[in-house]
Amino acid sequence: MKNKYIENFEKAQMAGKNIPEFRAGDTLRLAVSITEGDKTRIQNYEGICISLRGEGTGKTVNVRKIGANGIGIERVFPLYSESLQEITVVRRGRVRRAKLFYLRNLAGKAARIKELRN
Amino acid sequence: MEYIVEKIGMSRTVSVPSKPVTLLKVIETKVCEVKDGTAVVAYSQGKNKNKSIEGQQKKYALPSDFNCFATLEVANSEAGDLDLAPLASAQVVKAVFNTKGRGFTGVMKRWNFQGGPAAHGHRFHRTSGSIGNREWPGKVQKGRKMSGQYGNEQVTVKNSVLSFDAENGVLVLVGSIPGPNGAQGRVKVVK
Repeated sequence: MKNKYIENFEKAQMAGKNIPEFRAGDTLRLAVSITEGDKTRIQNYEGICISLRGEGTGKTVNVRKIGANGIGIERVFPLYSESLQEITVVRRGRVRRAKLFYLRNLAGKAARIKELRN
Repeated sequence: MEYIVEKIGMSRTVSVPSKPVTLLKVIETKVCEVKDGTAVVAYSQGKNKNKSIEGQQKKYALPSDFNCFATLEVANSEAGDLDLAPLASAQVVKAVFNTKGRGFTGVMKRWNFQGGPAAHGHRFHRTSGSIGNREWPGKVQKGRKMSGQYGNEQVTVKNSVLSFDAENGVLVLVGSIPGPNGAQGRVKVVK
């Protein structure tokens, strides 16, 4: 359990952030604001959430996608960071694990995740 | 201006780039007597009580749980509750804390000596080895790094202030400070 003062300090920072509920296996689209010189633009990054860790302001999400030439890319985002403008859940995946690190050893068709159907 | 504080713990901000922060709780303090900016203050810690404490409490008309006394630089000009106004406008503070005590420690941990190989018949593992020369100079040089008490010594660090919540008495500093969570120390307003 966290100290109540630390919790209050973190709550004040997380207030007003609209983060949808998702878990490992879900496909996310993240709007990341990028500053180049004095210009700021938004770049979208889409991939499968393979792990969620931490709590409070230190909570992070690891998002994996397959980039050009079939090279796997993983980026870790602090969930409450000011650089994350928006998080959209594109697709819900049916997985049985909280961490999907096994996807790193799979490629092509084997690395697919079935969609969750209720 | 000085304040008695307790280290609550660490957290981080969500800004870009994110900053590590340390939260400190300003301990409720009453000023007993002021003389040229320095004051005798009282605060509450534990349940320790004896006749001399009771005598001081009677002298300064303190509540019965204020059983510890200290000398601080204060902003107050007369006795009463400690004036927290300088903290609200503070930008930089010095934090004075004791580091974590590690007890009697060998040279590898205390002074980062390399030590020797662990196996294959070696007899030199974690000991300090030679500590001097020969018949000349015939003594160990002063300041020789050896094993001994490590930690639990006073360290002062300078940190910038992120915010101060006067309602809860929580001071938020950027960066880390020495000591374990729950440790008591002082902060001094520099700027």
